[in-house]
Amino acid sequence: MDATLKLWVVIFAVGLLNYLSRLSFIAVFARRSMPPLLARALKFVPAAMLMALILPMIVAGPMAGNVVAFNPKIAAAVIAGVVAFFTRSSLWTIGTGMTALWLMQAMG
Amino acid sequence: MAHAFTSAGAKTSPTGSLVRRLLASSDFRAGFAEMLPACVGIAPFGLVCGVGAAAAGASWVAALGMSVIIFSGAAQVLAAQMLAAGAPLVVIVLTCFVLGLRFLMYSAAMAPYLKALPGRWQQALAFLLTDQAFAAAIRRFNAKDDPHGGARHFLGSGMALWLCWQITNMVGYFAGNLIPASWSLDFAVPLVFLALVAPLLRDTPTILAAVVAGVAVIALEGLPMKLNLIAAGVIGIVAGTIADFARERWTRR
Repeated sequence: MDATLKLWVVIFAVGLLNYLSRLSFIAVFARRSMPPLLARALKFVPAAMLMALILPMIVAGPMAGNVVAFNPKIAAAVIAGVVAFFTRSSLWTIGTGMTALWLMQAMG
Repeated sequence: MAHAFTSAGAKTSPTGSLVRRLLASSDFRAGFAEMLPACVGIAPFGLVCGVGAAAAGASWVAALGMSVIIFSGAAQVLAAQMLAAGAPLVVIVLTCFVLGLRFLMYSAAMAPYLKALPGRWQQALAFLLTDQAFAAAIRRFNAKDDPHGGARHFLGSGMALWLCWQITNMVGYFAGNLIPASWSLDFAVPLVFLALVAPLLRDTPTILAAVVAGVAVIALEGLPMKLNLIAAGVIGIVAGTIADFARERWTRR
């Protein structure tokens, strides 16, 4: 498939599914309450999906190569993660994470 | 009081007068103004999404399409990355769908407050239901027992966030190309998500869900078509749910 067409299909399909999720209990299932098992499982969607999204960006390539060689991105991400946990601020998290990465890259 | 609603419901009323009535509503303006500090908070996220769209090779129109139509930072970055990696259409859409399932949770929590509103208001507010707008709307609905005023407040805050989102995405798209690669700006993407996920890690089941998903996504890296993302996400969700049941049983005894 043509790359531009594929991009637009993704935009509309993801946009529509996101919108239906947002609309679900407000309008479509307005008279139903959420099944308890679903409510319980949904609590873990952000933590699990975001972690699955984050790790490959930090640990680029197969894990085996990175255990041996020091990866400044892992160290910077750990520092940023601690800052995020305590400040809950994206500005502080990005600020410390980027600074830590630049410092470590400058030191070689 | 119910002015904005009657005009929203009547098909004959011109859009211009609806906008004027909304702008005249103090609830709408209060909601809009209240979100301006939050706009500073989401600015880095919006910039990163724009940079991600540019990196995936999207035209500026497609990048704008992503921020206008998808209107979810995590889904936009995920879609851009999977497109760049050449993942098949179905896998991209499915993975983004699982990521967006959290909106079901917000929708269910929001539903009781929006019950009294006309369908069009429900449909409009659902589109603006994001993490930040949700938090602000719940605060306001709980503070005052006034569903119609609360809805106009929600519309104001949602529109402020939406506007800010489009602007920051476009700035990121165009500015991202100017910033040298040696700055490693791509590292800001995982940092933005870390800022979202780290504060969630305050109870054992959630920590377990995150750790299991993290281990799984690396362990399953060999899977084709970027299937490791959705697989790891689902495994993490199941692990968290089981741990939640186990903890409940443990505390009950």
